[in-house]
Amino acid sequence: MRILKMAGLAVATYLVAPGLALAQDGGTVTIVLAEEPSFVEPCEASRSDVGKVLKQNVVETLTQIDPTDGGIAPRLATAWEQVDDLTWRFSLREGVTFHDGAAFDAEAVKHSIDRMMDTSIDCEIRTKFFGGTALEVTPVDELTVDIKTDAPSPILPTMMGTVVIVSPNTAMGEYTRSPVGTGPYTFEAWDVGNSITLSRFDGYWGDMPAVEGAKYIFRSESPVRAAMVAAGEADIAPNISVQDADPAADFSYPNSETTRLRIDTETAPLDDIRIREALNLAVDRSAIKGTILSPDVMLATQLVAPSINGHNPDIVSWGYDVEKARALIAQAKADGTPVDSEIHLIGRTGMFPNSAETMEALQAFFQDAGFNVSLRMVEVGEWLELILKPYAEDRPPILLIDQHDNNNGDAVFTVFNKYHSEGANSTLHDEELDRTIRAAEQATGDERRKLFQKAFSIIEERIIADVMLFHMVGYTRVSERLSFTPDISTNSELPLEKISFK
Amino acid sequence: MNDNFLIGRSLQTLIALVAVLLIVFFLVRLTGDPAALYLPLDASLEERANFARNHGLDQPIIVQLGEFLSGLMVGDFGQSIRQARPAIDVVLDAYPTTLRLGAVTMVIAMLVAVALGGIAAYRPRSLVDRTAGVLSLFAASVPDFWIAISAITLFAVTLGWLPTSGTGGPAYWVMPVAVLLLRPLGVMIQVVRASMLDALSSAYVKTARAKGVGEHRVIYVHALRNAFLPVLTVAGDQAVAIANGAVIVETVFGWPGIGRVMIDSVQQRDFSVVQAVIIVVAITVFTINLVIDLLYAWLDPRVRP
Repeated sequence: MRILKMAGLAVATYLVAPGLALAQDGGTVTIVLAEEPSFVEPCEASRSDVGKVLKQNVVETLTQIDPTDGGIAPRLATAWEQVDDLTWRFSLREGVTFHDGAAFDAEAVKHSIDRMMDTSIDCEIRTKFFGGTALEVTPVDELTVDIKTDAPSPILPTMMGTVVIVSPNTAMGEYTRSPVGTGPYTFEAWDVGNSITLSRFDGYWGDMPAVEGAKYIFRSESPVRAAMVAAGEADIAPNISVQDADPAADFSYPNSETTRLRIDTETAPLDDIRIREALNLAVDRSAIKGTILSPDVMLATQLVAPSINGHNPDIVSWGYDVEKARALIAQAKADGTPVDSEIHLIGRTGMFPNSAETMEALQAFFQDAGFNVSLRMVEVGEWLELILKPYAEDRPPILLIDQHDNNNGDAVFTVFNKYHSEGANSTLHDEELDRTIRAAEQATGDERRKLFQKAFSIIEERIIADVMLFHMVGYTRVSERLSFTPDISTNSELPLEKISFK
Repeated sequence: MNDNFLIGRSLQTLIALVAVLLIVFFLVRLTGDPAALYLPLDASLEERANFARNHGLDQPIIVQLGEFLSGLMVGDFGQSIRQARPAIDVVLDAYPTTLRLGAVTMVIAMLVAVALGGIAAYRPRSLVDRTAGVLSLFAASVPDFWIAISAITLFAVTLGWLPTSGTGGPAYWVMPVAVLLLRPLGVMIQVVRASMLDALSSAYVKTARAKGVGEHRVIYVHALRNAFLPVLTVAGDQAVAIANGAVIVETVFGWPGIGRVMIDSVQQRDFSVVQAVIIVVAITVFTINLVIDLLYAWLDPRVRP
């Protein structure tokens, strides 16, 4: 009994331990995110979990991509011009200081970019946007810097919208746990597992934002996040699932994700274009929209959203025509295509809310048209083995779910990787397409847009490389005391300066 | 108590621990290449090679094993790829949260199980007995996740009595402990009830009653002490059940515990963290079982060697 008494005492001691107050006070906001960032290293800010906290809050970029039209605006750089084929010159903003007091100048830009390009650390901004590129940064004077690439890069100013600038006191070759930038907020504290706190930076060069500070907390379950805003414990909860959202109160916004089935065009019967057309005609996309998925999703005709430079508005969405699909299958069969082979439809668990239900619906549509389709849901690890090269030689015909996010303004971030014969996720080998993609990468202005549009036309109209599905939406719940409207960039960054109090 | 008993048990534990270590080391590597999960989909082959080199994944597996084992000798569990800090720090940061949650849950489960199970056995088919039966059935059949979400909706959003989630003062403990408690409690009530029924009909209780020993003394000293042994036995299993349940509870309620670390590290193929977390959990479970064995021997002289 004495043991029990002592245990009781221990329990009581723990229970009265001082608590963590989540009350909302005046000028600060509480934001509940789906996942805690694994790290707070600025050169990983292209990851959505890191970017939501750091990007444009703690650390800023030289240029800023406008998510609505893909245009670029000045941020830490005020102007830029192309000096020669390989070199761009950036003029830097005057009077900017880092949170640690260091001056923002050409040397600081060089330090940040050199640090990011150093292969002894894994920086996602490098691996995602600058893999295989060499960047040479040369300070011209205190507030002018030249950035030279080893191959012509006509959209370097757009690319600079992804690169964050850190204090020159940030060590090379190792991750920092206390990021220092020039942004409107300083990185105050990280209580691992519990919260991250930012405070307004009084020495900020731009307009002083309304929000004095922010506390980020983390709950992986969507209903819990929604409940926290409803109960007044949090102010903003991004990534609410459609089934937990209240359509009247929550904001829906295009989350820049686009879903498709990647058709493996190299395996029979998927190597027959009639079969690929039939797959597209067999799916009644409008039956999925508003039932399994949100009524706000948009039918996609290509893998980038209409706001992205290079989107081709002339590609029309596939109609639902199961009779025609059956006729195409019959034709293909008559010509000896093995239309009865089992086609492996592969989904990924938890890729988006109701992803399993969506895959089941797709399977039913394909079966209805007469395809022999099996469905398998896999975890992210197995999915990655399937989407990434190298592909197995003796693989079966596969329709693989894919969800792609491009809110960086330009189709270049999509097309090479997904469709060029050397792309890491591509199953295509088409010479004309490869040439068009390479030409588009080097082109500028109108010519660039037209070349990417031509590439999408080849992919979706001549080859039919996908069963395109939807441009997806996300829901964000926002407390009534705030003015904040989420947009397409809310998935990857959440600038506190855009929030005000009612 | 015999020293050999303790040494023997500890040795068995150590051998089991080494076996767990080796199994985990190889199993975790069968799940695939961490670079695929870690790097963006469009990372080049060159970047993938860089990544492997930076994290020692380009070495032959036998070399990796050697480094892992020699690291362990000096308490080095390797670096977390995902968090870019020592794996053992990741685990030890989270460990106290789960230990507290588990300990509080375990103590309450045992106290309530002994009280309810005892009464249920003493008065079979009474209201308490029937309530305990229904509770056990409910606890065994309803998913934790659903209970947790329903409780949040009811108690935090609709009624506003409790915070939805997070850690802090007593109010923050109520729902997580209640949800985690349910399953072990259901099992333990039934175990107490059954063993108490046995004890109450045993010869020594009858003898005690015949000798005119007071009813309180019969129950609390004679019957309950013996009925407690089976509870202790299942408590070891239930400790593992609580560690499993903590995965759900910590995920839903946002507790920064070891359950969450376990899920995240497995999903992200953060090998060093998976190894560290499993070693820490294994040591905990082995220790609990060792303590239970010792307690058992102390309570029941018949099992002493």
